[in-house]
Amino acid sequence: MLPLSLLTAAQNKPMLVELKNGETFNGHLVNCDNFMNITLREVYQTSADGDRFWKLKECYIRGSTIKYLRVPDTLLDAVKDEQARAREAGRSARGAGPGGRGGRGAPPRGRGGARGAGPRGGRGRGRG
Amino acid sequence: MDSLIPFTTSGSLVDCVDRKMLVVLRDGRKLHGVLRSYDQFANLVLEDTTERIYHGNAFAEHWHGLFLIRGENVVLLGEIDLDREDDVPLRQVDYHVLDPYHKNDIANKKVREDFKSQVLYEQKGFCKEGGEGDGY
Repeated sequence: MLPLSLLTAAQNKPMLVELKNGETFNGHLVNCDNFMNITLREVYQTSADGDRFWKLKECYIRGSTIKYLRVPDTLLDAVKDEQARAREAGRSARGAGPGGRGGRGAPPRGRGGARGAGPRGGRGRGRG
Repeated sequence: MDSLIPFTTSGSLVDCVDRKMLVVLRDGRKLHGVLRSYDQFANLVLEDTTERIYHGNAFAEHWHGLFLIRGENVVLLGEIDLDREDDVPLRQVDYHVLDPYHKNDIANKKVREDFKSQVLYEQKGFCKEGGEGDGY
């Protein structure tokens, strides 16, 4: 998944942000946007030398000043699981809707790539 | 030249996904990790990342985990050959042992680079701007 999608999925998770000037911010991600601008809460800021510390309730960081972000290692797996679950939920919801099995959502038949039924039409193939 | 890499229609990182890569950042850091994804800015998601520092004939590693790197800070990416990955002719030591030497190297390098750019500016008319904060 795209890097910025991973960031959006990391909302409410703790992370470490290092800026281009070497300062680090440890906090929980509140929100982010397409420019990588982020807001954090419960932040511990450390100077580049590592000798000064600040505690901030909230802070906003402009995306262009970020060098990198360190996120929890379990985040990647957690997001993949969520995506898989969302896909299953979407499929079963669509299967119960109008049109039932005929078109794309025919998982019980084990038709791999059901979504790619476009080129063949997908409809004329009997019960899919 | 070992082989001529055939040109594809456009440069892309798709062949590097799920491979172990070396990433060099503009601040000089060398990160090893598995590239999981990228986007049009070359922002990278690097999994299971270790940072490696070198000094003399020794190196040290420090595990960092899952990284989201902003693309503009990347200098280069290189694919790591897993078969030859461990043929490092250097000896591995503890990170905290090598770290002070490494920091010293960085400081010296900065002094040298500043002096060099000053000389180039004064004697050869080179511009001093550009490359601020770059440590590679």
